[in-house]
Amino acid sequence: MPPLNQTFAALGDATRFAIVDHLLSQGEQSAGQLQQLTDISPPAVSRHLKVLRLAGLINQRVDRQKRIYSVNPAAIQAVNAWVEYHRKFWDSSLDRLERALDMEGLNNG
Amino acid sequence: MAELKIERHFKADPAMVFDFVTKPEHLAKWWGPEGMTLPQCALDFTKPGRWFSVMQNSDGKEHKVSGQITKVDPPNSVGFTWAWHDENDVRGNESFVTLTISAGQGGGTDFTLHHQQLPSTEAADNHVIGWTSSLRKLERMGN
Repeated sequence: MPPLNQTFAALGDATRFAIVDHLLSQGEQSAGQLQQLTDISPPAVSRHLKVLRLAGLINQRVDRQKRIYSVNPAAIQAVNAWVEYHRKFWDSSLDRLERALDMEGLNNG
Repeated sequence: MAELKIERHFKADPAMVFDFVTKPEHLAKWWGPEGMTLPQCALDFTKPGRWFSVMQNSDGKEHKVSGQITKVDPPNSVGFTWAWHDENDVRGNESFVTLTISAGQGGGTDFTLHHQQLPSTEAADNHVIGWTSSLRKLERMGN
């Protein structure tokens, strides 16, 4: 899988984010269906889809003449793992902060 | 997009909490999860500049994280960037941390930690709301 920073960079764009969000809620979509999401030109949509594909966020398959796109769950889960890792990191640190503050309060009180 | 927000209430007053999250002698007391030691660090959030910390877990494995202090507004908030280093000391993807401190309604301090992949702006915050709901959708897909 590509490094996470590529994943985050790809999602930093509002149009690309909207595409991923739409695929998450609607499941597989053809390029034509995704085109209807935005006002931008088909070539621009194609470029966004390519960025998302290279970042590992979406998968592409070809069904006869159509290109069909879907979300790559592993990439989304990697983003989710980033959040969970840092939540644990900070929760544990903040527990220690709270104890240090309480200790200081006792010493001064 | 990817973000997390942690809210806490502390009995200590805002000035003391601000001291504990900015001064080096206090940061050393709590920085990093339980069980981690801090063999090396430059943690001084009282003024803008660079910071780093090397944390070591019980197996002796070291984890380095560094960034730039971008905002110091006593006693209200501190902002800094954040990126882990890999085993070759190459700094990875940068994220953004904001600590916000305010007086609690019934005394003490309301504290918020916001850690996100985009700098905090209104647009980014809206983005975050969308992202959180997307993850919920994904969870439902998995069920």
